[in-house]
Amino acid sequence: MNETLLSVRDLSVAFGPRGRRVSAVDAVSFDVAAGETLGLVGESGCGKSTTGRALMRIVEPTAGTVTLEGVDLTAASGRALRERRTAMQMIFQDPISSLNPRRRARDIVAEPLDCWNRATGEERRRIVDELLAQVGIDPVAYGGRYARQFSGGQCQRISIARALAMRPKLLICDEVVSALDVSVQAQILNLLEDLKAEYGLTMLFIAHDLAVVKNISDRVAVMYLGRLCEIGPADTLYDAPAHPYTKFLLGAALEADPEAPRRGEVLEGEPPSPLNPPSGCRFRTRCPFAAERCATETPALREVAPGHQVACHFPLAIARREGAPA
Amino acid sequence: MSDETLLRVREVTTTFDTPQGRLTAVDAVSFDLGAHESLGVVGESGSGKTVLSRTIMGLQPRRGVSVTGSVLLNGIEVVGATEEAKRELWGRQVAMVFQDPMTSLNPVVKVGKQIDEVLRVRLGMDRAAARARAIELLEMVGIPAAATRYDAYPHSLSGGMRQRVVIAIALAGSPQLLLADEPTTGLDVTIQAQILNLLDEVQGRLGMSMILVTHDLGVVATRTSRLVVMYAGRVVETGTTRDVFARHRMPYTRALLESSPKVSNPSHTRLAAIPGRPPNLLDLPAGCAFAPRCAYATDRCRNERPVLEPAGEPGHLFACFNPLSEPVGSPT
Repeated sequence: MNETLLSVRDLSVAFGPRGRRVSAVDAVSFDVAAGETLGLVGESGCGKSTTGRALMRIVEPTAGTVTLEGVDLTAASGRALRERRTAMQMIFQDPISSLNPRRRARDIVAEPLDCWNRATGEERRRIVDELLAQVGIDPVAYGGRYARQFSGGQCQRISIARALAMRPKLLICDEVVSALDVSVQAQILNLLEDLKAEYGLTMLFIAHDLAVVKNISDRVAVMYLGRLCEIGPADTLYDAPAHPYTKFLLGAALEADPEAPRRGEVLEGEPPSPLNPPSGCRFRTRCPFAAERCATETPALREVAPGHQVACHFPLAIARREGAPA
Repeated sequence: MSDETLLRVREVTTTFDTPQGRLTAVDAVSFDLGAHESLGVVGESGSGKTVLSRTIMGLQPRRGVSVTGSVLLNGIEVVGATEEAKRELWGRQVAMVFQDPMTSLNPVVKVGKQIDEVLRVRLGMDRAAARARAIELLEMVGIPAAATRYDAYPHSLSGGMRQRVVIAIALAGSPQLLLADEPTTGLDVTIQAQILNLLDEVQGRLGMSMILVTHDLGVVATRTSRLVVMYAGRVVETGTTRDVFARHRMPYTRALLESSPKVSNPSHTRLAAIPGRPPNLLDLPAGCAFAPRCAYATDRCRNERPVLEPAGEPGHLFACFNPLSEPVGSPT
C-alpha cells in the first residue's frame, strides 16, 4: 500500500446546545492512502457528509485530528489553514447551485488561481482552457458562456475543473452524481476515474448509492448514526459484509435485473434520533443479533481479515466470507 | 397478461405553450393496462414520464396545455372530461402517489384528518366511521401506533412515514388504478425497500392495477410485469419486463441499462456512458430523438422518425431503424 495521505483519528462533530446536542459524527477514524479512492456510504443522517465537511473544516470538529500529509489540520488556523486547504478540494451534490449563474465558465475555473495569484495573463488562460478541455467542455465554444446556460451535468464538469485548478492532492466528492440522470451520471463517474489516474488524485467519495460507491472505490467505509460500522476493500465488503447493518443495506439495494433474486430480509423500522442515540452499539435497536453486551459496550473497530475492519461484537461468520467468491 | 383491460391509452399527446414556443412533452403514446397488472414507465428527466402520468390522471393546469388522443379508464374518457367528472374518478377509480411526500401533504392538518377527507367527501362516511377507517388504513400501510399517529402533523414524521401516509390517502377510496410517480426517490435505500414492498403487498391485496413511474431501472426490474421505455416524450420500446431487460432491441434501452452501475459488478467496472444528454424538447431533431447520441445512427435515423414495430415476442415493440440483433442463446 502507498503511504498514508489523509489520517483521521477519533473525529467527532456535535451540533446544538447542551441538552439538545446532536452527535452527528462520533469518534470516526480511518486512513486514506495516496492514490486511493475511499467510498463513504450510509443513509441520510449517518454523518457521511458532516465527516467530509469536518475534514475541510467547513464545520468545526468537536474532537479528534485530521492529518493531511503529516500536518494536523485541526491545529492549523488562519492563513496556514487556508494554504493547506488548497491541497484538498471539495465538490458538492447540487452542481447548479455550486456555481454563480452570472459568471462565465472560464472565470469560475480561474477563480482559485486568482485567489492565490498562481497564474496571470497567457498562462492563466492556458491552464483554464486545458482544465475545461479535460472535463469535456470545449473552452473555445463554451468557455465564455455563463454558468446558467449549462445543464446539471455540464455544471458538475465545471465544478470538477474548478476543484482541479489548484492541483489538489485530495478530492472530496459529496454526492456528486446523485442529482444527475443515469446516462450523465456514468459520464461523470468515468471522468472522475480518468482524472484520478491523470492527476494521481486521492479521493474520498461520499454517496448513498451503493452501486455508485462500489464502482468508483478501492475501499469502502459504511457509516450508521455517526459511527463507522465497517471498512474494507470494496469487492470483499460487498461480497461478504461482516457487519449486520452492511448486510441489510446491501440486501435493500435494487439490482436492475428481473432475474435477480430478492435478496435477504428488509430491515424494519428507521434509524433512531441522533439526539438520543442508543447506548453501546448504535445499531443494536434494529439488529437481529443484538445481545446484552451490545447495549453496555461500544464495539471498537477490529480487524476480521487483512484490511477489513468491523465494529461489531458478533460479526457475521468468517466461514461464509471465505466461501464467498473473490 | 390479464384478459380485462382497465386502462386504454391511445395516441396521447400533451403539449405546453411556453414563451419559447410549443413543446411536446408526450408524443402519441399508446398502451393498455390490464386489471391487476403492474406497468413500469421508465425514462430520464424530460422523457415525459411524469407528464404522461398526470395526463392519465387528468391533472393539468388549465392554461397553455393541450391534450389530444384518448385515455379510457374503465370505459370513461379522461381527456376532455369536465372537472366535475374528473373529481368522480379521482380517489375512487384512480389515485396518485407523488415523489415528494412533504409537499403532497398539508403541513398544518393532522395526517389522520387528511385521510378522513377522502373518506368523508368521496365515500360519504360519517365522522366516526371515517376515523375508524383512517386508523385501519394507517395500520395497513405499516404505521406503528396508528391511533396515536392519527393526530400527528406531517412534520413530525420521517420521509418514509410520510410516504406511507400518502399511500394510505391514495388507498382510501379503494381505487382500481394506483399511479406512483417516483414514489421512493429521495428515500433511503432501506426505506425504499420497505415502501416498494408495501406497494407490492397492497396492490396484490386490493387487486389494483399499478403504474410505477421511475428513472431507476432497479425499482421496476422485479416489481412490474411490463415496461414502457420513454425518450423525449415518445415510447421507444415496450414489452414484458423480462423481454425489455433481456431482449431489448432499441439502442437507447441498452444504453440506459449499461450506463447504470450495478452492485454485482466488481469495483472500477468501466461504465458504458451515453455521450451527450437528453434533448431539448423545444428543439427536437427531425428523425429519431436519440439519433444524435446513438452509435448506430444513419442518415435515415436523422431524417425519418421510426414508429413502433413488433419485435417477435408478444407485446414487445420497439421504434428503431437499426435495432440490436436478437440475442443468440441466453441473454447476458
